[in-house]
Amino acid sequence: MEEQDALYQRAATEFGASLARLARGYETDSEQQRDLLQDMHFALWRSLATFNGQCSLRTWIYRVAHNVAISTRLRRRARRTQLVGLDELVETADNEDIEQISSEHQLLSQLQMLIRRLKPPDDQVMLLYLEDLDATAISEITGLSPGAVATRIHRAKALLARRFRGESS
Amino acid sequence: MSDIKTVWKNQATPEAGMITLSDIRARAAKYQSRIRTRNVVLYVYGLANIAITAWLLSTGRYAAFATPALLMVIAHLFVIWQVWKRAAARDLPGELGGHAALDFHRQELQRQHETMSRAWLWYIAPFIPAFLWEVWIRAQMPTPSVPPYADRMIVSMILLAGLFFWTSVWLWFSRGAARLQLQIKELDHVKAE
Repeated sequence: MEEQDALYQRAATEFGASLARLARGYETDSEQQRDLLQDMHFALWRSLATFNGQCSLRTWIYRVAHNVAISTRLRRRARRTQLVGLDELVETADNEDIEQISSEHQLLSQLQMLIRRLKPPDDQVMLLYLEDLDATAISEITGLSPGAVATRIHRAKALLARRFRGESS
Repeated sequence: MSDIKTVWKNQATPEAGMITLSDIRARAAKYQSRIRTRNVVLYVYGLANIAITAWLLSTGRYAAFATPALLMVIAHLFVIWQVWKRAAARDLPGELGGHAALDFHRQELQRQHETMSRAWLWYIAPFIPAFLWEVWIRAQMPTPSVPPYADRMIVSMILLAGLFFWTSVWLWFSRGAARLQLQIKELDHVKAE
């Protein structure tokens, strides 16, 4: 138990902020974000009892976080809106009426909205890409082939470039 | 594009530091208590069902329905056991980190699909023999104050209402299963890329 607690403390210190960002990427409502984040932490703490280095701690943490998010979504069936793939969003990005973005806060909220429109596993790839993980790590976490991840990252880049042209600079 | 990544990673996340080990332990206790409550509700439902049936039979007014009533109790207990088993499987597994997201997602959808597509077997079929038996007994016991044709109409209406109800339940489950099957297919397609 002590070892599990120590490992959890380490994981929470190193990846706490990433988990919080993932929760924001998945949930709109702040109450639900907090709930999801707590579920992620609880599941992570429980899961660390069975962690014995079968993959890196980072991969383990991200898998737990995304699997909790998937499970929550399936349980609540909250997402009634039509989810779309990266390819569809890339195609429609040019025709969408894009609001002028005047602050980082606005950029973030637009980005989060965009992620929430994506269907799995495209949303997972986008979130992990934004966390600066490489294709191999994303492949390990999502279970997609490295080729499929590379294609999705390419689409994600194209989408972000079209959707947020120069906004963040 | 690194700018967007930077903005994403630099967003303030004060909530990240607010979760402590004691919060986690409190959450674990809440989780266990939720499972206990769910089990207690199922036990109470099962016991209430047995108690009400036993009481009705003990009054002697429904003696003719004794066997189908007992069958109905058995059906309820079977369904309660199935609900308990399936709900227990729905709890978050401890080894979540051992599954890639795509595999976990598919596994969850598959489990839900199995529950829904087999609902006719574990949720509907157990009640049907007892229900039909009760209707058959009712058909053999015409009410003296009601003309025979009206009595037959009442029995037919009970039968139709029951069949309509169970067909609706079956259709509802089937529709859910078909929707899940589509999602599974979609994930399989993504996995094959």
